Amino acid sequence: MDKQLDVLQGTLDMLILKAVSLGPLHGYGILLRIQQISKDRLEIQQGSLYPALYRLEHQGWITSEWGESANNRKAKYYRLTAAGKHRLQSEAEKWNRMADVIAGILGTTPEEV
Amino acid sequence: MTLWNRLRSWVQAILRRSRMESEMDAELRFHIEAYAGDLIRSGALRSEAMRRARMEFGGIEQAKEECRDARGVHLLDSLLQDLRYGLRMVRKSPGFTAVAVLALTLGIGANTAIFSLIDVILLRPLPVRDSDHVVVLRWGAHKQPHAHGYGDFGFCHINGDGTERMGCSFPYPFFEQLSSQAGIFSSVTAFAGSPGLHLDRGGNRTRVNSPLVSGQFFETLGVRAALGRMLQPSDDVPSAAPVTVLNYGYWQGEFGADPSIVGKTLYLDRIPVTIIGVAEPNFAELSPGHTWDMWLPLTLYSRLNLHWSEGLNDNASWWLTIVGRLKPGVSLAQAQTAVSLFFRNEMLHGAQPLSKEEDDPRISLLPVQKGIVGNRWLYQKPFYILMIAVGIVLLIACSNVGGLMLARTASRQKEIAVRLALGAGRARIMRQLLTESVLLSVAGGVIGIFVAYWSLAALRSSDWLGSIHDFAVKPDARILIFTVLVSVLAGILPGLAPAFRGTRLDLTPTLKENAPTLPNISHHGRRFSIGGVLVVAQVTLSILVLAGAGLLVRTLVNLKSIDPGFDTRDLLLVGIDLKNNEYSEQQAQNLYRELQSRFSSLPGVTNVSYSSDVLLSGSLWNGDTNLEGRKERVTRNILSVGPRFFDTMRIPLIAGRTFTQADFGSKHKITIVNQAFVRRYLENRGPLGLHLAGSKEDPGEEIIGVVGDTKYDDLKKGIEPTAYVPLKGGRVNFELRTAAIPEALIPAARSIVRELDSHLPSPDFKSQTEQIDRSLFRERLVAHLSSFFGLLALALACLGLYGLLSYEVSRRTREIGIRAAMGAQQRDVFRLVVGHGVVLVIVGAVVGTAGALGLTRYLQSLLYGVRPTDPITFVAVGLLLSLVSLAACYLPARRAMRVDPMVALRYE
Repeated sequence: MDKQLDVLQGTLDMLILKAVSLGPLHGYGILLRIQQISKDRLEIQQGSLYPALYRLEHQGWITSEWGESANNRKAKYYRLTAAGKHRLQSEAEKWNRMADVIAGILGTTPEEV
Repeated sequence: MTLWNRLRSWVQAILRRSRMESEMDAELRFHIEAYAGDLIRSGALRSEAMRRARMEFGGIEQAKEECRDARGVHLLDSLLQDLRYGLRMVRKSPGFTAVAVLALTLGIGANTAIFSLIDVILLRPLPVRDSDHVVVLRWGAHKQPHAHGYGDFGFCHINGDGTERMGCSFPYPFFEQLSSQAGIFSSVTAFAGSPGLHLDRGGNRTRVNSPLVSGQFFETLGVRAALGRMLQPSDDVPSAAPVTVLNYGYWQGEFGADPSIVGKTLYLDRIPVTIIGVAEPNFAELSPGHTWDMWLPLTLYSRLNLHWSEGLNDNASWWLTIVGRLKPGVSLAQAQTAVSLFFRNEMLHGAQPLSKEEDDPRISLLPVQKGIVGNRWLYQKPFYILMIAVGIVLLIACSNVGGLMLARTASRQKEIAVRLALGAGRARIMRQLLTESVLLSVAGGVIGIFVAYWSLAALRSSDWLGSIHDFAVKPDARILIFTVLVSVLAGILPGLAPAFRGTRLDLTPTLKENAPTLPNISHHGRRFSIGGVLVVAQVTLSILVLAGAGLLVRTLVNLKSIDPGFDTRDLLLVGIDLKNNEYSEQQAQNLYRELQSRFSSLPGVTNVSYSSDVLLSGSLWNGDTNLEGRKERVTRNILSVGPRFFDTMRIPLIAGRTFTQADFGSKHKITIVNQAFVRRYLENRGPLGLHLAGSKEDPGEEIIGVVGDTKYDDLKKGIEPTAYVPLKGGRVNFELRTAAIPEALIPAARSIVRELDSHLPSPDFKSQTEQIDRSLFRERLVAHLSSFFGLLALALACLGLYGLLSYEVSRRTREIGIRAAMGAQQRDVFRLVVGHGVVLVIVGAVVGTAGALGLTRYLQSLLYGVRPTDPITFVAVGLLLSLVSLAACYLPARRAMRVDPMVALRYE
């Protein structure tokens, strides 16, 4: 297994938005979902997840309600709002552009300069 | 939207704090337990799993804290902490608090009071629905179109620029023609002022304010009925039975809000009028200062025996204000072009052409809010001037409190240094200091609102506000928002200087130094510390207000000392509204004579006469006519008077004779002119025996006497040529020359009128001096209020000076002690302290005087007989300032002189 990467500063919000965009999840579920879709290559500090959730909810990107978990326990489920959907879109675009630029820079060979 | 979201989530977090906490707990527990469950499933021991789950989660408390932060909960916590701390500081120094709150209360209260007046008189929108689509007609032309008579009722104020004539009054036939024009207005209405009718009710006759309005009045303005129905066009035809709509307030006051009022009949000067409805409550007045009791249909005019026009159908009598509501889809410009064309056509090619092509008659349509100004224009300038004055007072109060706080922050240096050293952020401490000053200003604001309303109520119950009486001043949302804004501003401004200054500290020496005060805290240059600059600013600002107030007071004094040409003291005026349709000329004459003799027999009355109008009351009758032996027509003011008028008023007879009792029965027409008339129109000709207003068939009025000049309607106007004629009937005002206080005669005079004719409307009593005061009420109001604010400004500025010097003295106690120990005399110490104060005052006075000299010219239009740069006023202001500021310097200086060197030095 590859060594796990720490989540880049500022990208946690985007990952959370993406995770809940696939369907309502509780906090622990979000953690698992991110690990699952990253094929365990990303390491998320569990303690930093909740402040991020609260912040996103405070800004209105996601909303929460209490529901039943798979093993019949009460859990708080998070869902993407319409505003959050836009937000995720624009964040993803920004990220892709950024990634292209960085990849371009890093891929530069001496002959190209 | 996200802002809203944040606010909501923040409020929820604050209000449901405990719920948020327990949810947070549950959520985190669920997380850890779920994780532990997964660990167990992957083979970990049950006891081990929980421990690992907790460990891998990291600091639970820290996560919670970050969650709370994300919700902004801490903002409130620290604000509450600031408030608690601020309250503690405020309690700890009650003297400082009292002075600061008092200064801010006065500043904010004065602003609220004046803004309330401005709000109600100048800013409040007209009670017209969709007023954007409602316009008032104004004509303009190079020359006034021909008119048999022209009058307006003060609904709009026209500022002619001299070359152009304009006005808002129109003849009835033009209105009729205009209403039949389809395509411009969805409805159009014409109205005039109140004919001054009397309501006969239960043996009393009270005057009612009942404007005449056309049938579509309420429809055009969009006013609905609170009860019954409003006037309709079918009520406004000559054959219709007279009906009326009551004003809501009048219905409540006069009829006790009788719900069955509709259908009842009132008697207005013996004309039966049926009440058909009550208008909705907010429609009390169309223009400020014209409160109406009820509305009557315009066509009732022909039954009222008025002389406003030569009959409704005279197309050269201009007396109606016209307001229209634009048809949907018609723009103001389109409507204006159409109406203008129509007017031009009527004026040039109507049944009777009234204007000429080259005079270019035309119409402008003004939005009703701008066009119907009523008395508003009278108050506009004075009120804005007063608003500036109170604004300055508030600035002074703010800088005053700023100075006090600065001194306090200086003595709190050590406390602040400790907090900074312990890791408090600079912003946090600044916020703390600002919270304290906002706390003071909020207290000042809350008390200020009460002070404002209390003083407005006091002003209203005295006769001080004059015709502003009619404006109901009540707090509304706009006034409250204004006060809140002013209070917050007044809280932040004084807090700024100390907040910036106090937190810029070099920690080490501040903490090290043991002395309670440090010489180098607030000083860069000795004379111009921030505190000093604040005092200079206060003196400067107070000079501005004082100079303006001085000029306005001088104006009032000048106006009051004008000699109107007759003796205004000890004169009681009794106004009686006699109706032409109820008293024939002979009956009226008999009544006048009888009243004159009965009034004369009252003890303390030396002379009695009467006239149609009261002098200096603002009402004026004038006209032009011809004079024997002169080609050009002459203009003169006319006053109808009774016998002994000139004796009673103490107007000297210059030549000829005055009217005798016999002249009032005789057919022979006579007149008496004043000296100004002779000077203007009769160079080197003997006036006696000449005739005025003659025609081919009628020789006119013979001039039988010449009397001294008097002012007629307004003290501020010059003396105009005036002709006096015998009063033959109608409305009358008696003048009683008394040996005692005029007002003492009122009860006796009232019973005389009632005994003589119980049907007469109740008379109106006032003394001539009161009448003059009333006519000068605007000048009085602005002079009194501005001098009050001027003195307030001075007092605050001197309080600031006193505060600064006292602080300096206490700060420099040690230095003064050393000086005294080294042999300085008390005189030197005195000079040291007073000198500092005097320098500040002189700098402020010089700057302030220069500023005032430049600014007072904006007062020009409010001044009378005094130049904006009047030296006497400026010298007086300077003297006043020096006296008061010396007193403010003296007290701290005396304390400095009493410093005992031993005590001061042992302090160390």
